[in-house]
Amino acid sequence: MKLRDIAIGANASMYYRMDFKKIRGVYYPKTEADVLAAIAFARENGYDVTPKGGGSGLSGACTGGDIDRIMMSSLQMTEMLAISKDMGYVDVQPGLTPDEINAVLEPMGMKLHVAPSSRDIATVGGILSTDGGGNDTWVNGTMRDNTIKVKMVTYDGRRLTVSHEGVKSDDSELEAELNNKGMTINDIASSHGTLGFITELKLFIRPLVNETLAGSLVEFPDYDALGQAVDEIIKRKSPIRYGETIVTAHPDVREGFNPPLLILQYPEGYDSELSEFVDVKKLDKEELKRMKDVRLKLPKRNPKKGVQFALFEGYGFHEESLRKMQSALDEIDALLQSHDLVPFAKYGHAPSKWYLGDNTAAYGIILHSREIRPEGKTGTELLQILLDIVERCESLGVTPKPEHKWPFDDKTKSARLSELRKIIGQGFNSFILDETCNGVLSSMV
Amino acid sequence: MSSSYDKCVRCGSCVKFCPLFDAVGEEQFSPRGKIYLLQIMDQIEDDPELAKEFRQLLFQCTLCGRCSEVCSSDVDLLKVWHEQRAKAVEMAPEEFDYLDALRNSLANVANIYGLDPEDRAIYWLDELEDDIPGLGDRVYEKGKTADTMVFLGCLMSFRGSQMDVLRSLFTMLEEVGEDYLVMGAEENCCGHPLYLMGDEKGAAELRQHNKSVIEDAQAKKVVTCCPGCLIQLREYHNLEKVEALHHTQFFDQKMASTPIYEQTEELAYHDPCELHRILGIKTEPRSLLKKLGVKYREMEASCCGGGGLLRMTDPGLSDIIIQARAAKEKLKDTVVVTACPSCREQLLASENRTKDIVELLADASKGGAE
Repeated sequence: MKLRDIAIGANASMYYRMDFKKIRGVYYPKTEADVLAAIAFARENGYDVTPKGGGSGLSGACTGGDIDRIMMSSLQMTEMLAISKDMGYVDVQPGLTPDEINAVLEPMGMKLHVAPSSRDIATVGGILSTDGGGNDTWVNGTMRDNTIKVKMVTYDGRRLTVSHEGVKSDDSELEAELNNKGMTINDIASSHGTLGFITELKLFIRPLVNETLAGSLVEFPDYDALGQAVDEIIKRKSPIRYGETIVTAHPDVREGFNPPLLILQYPEGYDSELSEFVDVKKLDKEELKRMKDVRLKLPKRNPKKGVQFALFEGYGFHEESLRKMQSALDEIDALLQSHDLVPFAKYGHAPSKWYLGDNTAAYGIILHSREIRPEGKTGTELLQILLDIVERCESLGVTPKPEHKWPFDDKTKSARLSELRKIIGQGFNSFILDETCNGVLSSMV
Repeated sequence: MSSSYDKCVRCGSCVKFCPLFDAVGEEQFSPRGKIYLLQIMDQIEDDPELAKEFRQLLFQCTLCGRCSEVCSSDVDLLKVWHEQRAKAVEMAPEEFDYLDALRNSLANVANIYGLDPEDRAIYWLDELEDDIPGLGDRVYEKGKTADTMVFLGCLMSFRGSQMDVLRSLFTMLEEVGEDYLVMGAEENCCGHPLYLMGDEKGAAELRQHNKSVIEDAQAKKVVTCCPGCLIQLREYHNLEKVEALHHTQFFDQKMASTPIYEQTEELAYHDPCELHRILGIKTEPRSLLKKLGVKYREMEASCCGGGGLLRMTDPGLSDIIIQARAAKEKLKDTVVVTACPSCREQLLASENRTKDIVELLADASKGGAE
């Protein structure tokens, strides 16, 4: 074993202590041929394949669990293959980040409109595999909405092209079978690498929008007022171009602001309508920049004493749970505190869009949560707290963003992936769909 | 109490900024990868081969500081790398035999080349004395005093490739009428190489002599072209009532305006990592370029591959970094303007053209580029 077989485990989730002896090979392919060769090695030796992008996700999917496996990183698949400004697409290898793609596109007046806060390291292949988005999903959708089609390689070495319409493959039998099952890009989105390795993506690009935006800060007396304001924004289909909330923040990182609050950007002149239902405090350019920076850095900063960690991300407040956020959040915080977890920050995209496991769209607030890491808790204890939170969320009507955390993924998506894997092979990231998944993850905390 | 690296949340923001990751493309070379290895060290340290590999990995780094700059989690990565390097050398000195020649040279003759200390002011003096009359009198001897002490550093004292920069430096010091001395044979290495390998004790011994010479000369300023030397002079020499300056700072202060540089080539400015990121000196080089009326493009604020002793610890990687950099920045038809003798060596070794800012100043002062 060499350090490269260990360092491949570096990722942003709390699941990072793994049994490295079970990593049987680490690959950084550059081409589809390299990918095929690596998969062939895994197949011949009966190993699983774990795809990995930037490792900025919090689900732990890129760890591969504890199965004998090869790890395949897309970080060296960073070619831009084609750009069509006229037809509005870019063909890219999966290891490029949105920032890298936009560094090329923006001088041309074009942009890939997917902006997770980890866009400096999250790869487009990885973002599709978690169906990620950013603060602009309300306007621009999640990664699946920005993906035209993908090329991928399955465990048995067959090639697929999957679009919103269906599947194409050199293997006509496979193509027919998958199309009979209605496989589309929706299945690749948030599949967490369980279906195959993405080798190429065709992504929508659109012109940089040249409109004058105004920025505002909206402060609320409580969480209900915040939720109801976001609900109103959704009902009115307000033209919010950037919407972020800081719901709570530890005094060490609050920087004088008074959450709960919304940071909004919208076309100049929309203030008048916005003022009908919230008190708007206009921000100048510098103030807005500072607010955005405060928000953007919340997941990366630490309190003066202790270290933050992400026990659970992706509380999805929508419909009734959005309008009655206060009681839901009070219950969640009480649960956290009963387990000695000190809330550090809650923040997120508001308004936002995400997809439930059956591919229906939900609109509301996707709330990320960070706590101060407690001393002395075992991995099993932490995972149990997390599962308690999930159970509580279900009773509160808070829908965890399904693609964020596999231990509480909804059964619809799991069943669908299992169904497809029976056709295209079951050698990719199998631990995620295994009933022992929770136990495996808890051993890695 | 948490170690600094425990605060790393492994978000990965540092990965793509790292010149080592850029060159190799594998996670173990990235700052996140290395911090991750530290975080799980209890799982791997019992394996002697892995522990050895990790110690080697710590020296496969340019210490450029980009990771520290981009980190939002309050992890002082540069400090971590320094501490871990010191620990590595202390734990397994036999694995760092290849650094012994350097260490011995510094211990015995106080320069990195193992040459006679008397030679510090021989090579360049022979070469430049005709061009700059009286230069020999500028070499420090006990009892001489001056407002400004020039600290050349090992590279500029001994390397022929630095001669044009030296000529320009002395030309400009004469031009502005500065009362200066050069430390010459009384100059010790500043200690930076030892600092980079975590040998604080050895570095301190070298510094002590420099401090006494600079203070004996009653200098109010010490000026160096080398950012590494400046880190040592400014931060670690404990100089009293002596201001340590980079030469770009010195000339920017001295010259409210400069003659216009007659530019005939395409220029790009490369920020030396230790100068702009660690010392925070960014405005003065650009101010001088502006005064010179130079048109130039800014290069990415990335490392040339010559820092952190990488040239010595893994020259192959160092080469890959500069070659990748040159290709990415399209340097073929460009002269790279910089302000660091180490960056200059790195650029020249990979057959790039380069000029120090002081060369532009000297060219402008005598009426145009050569």
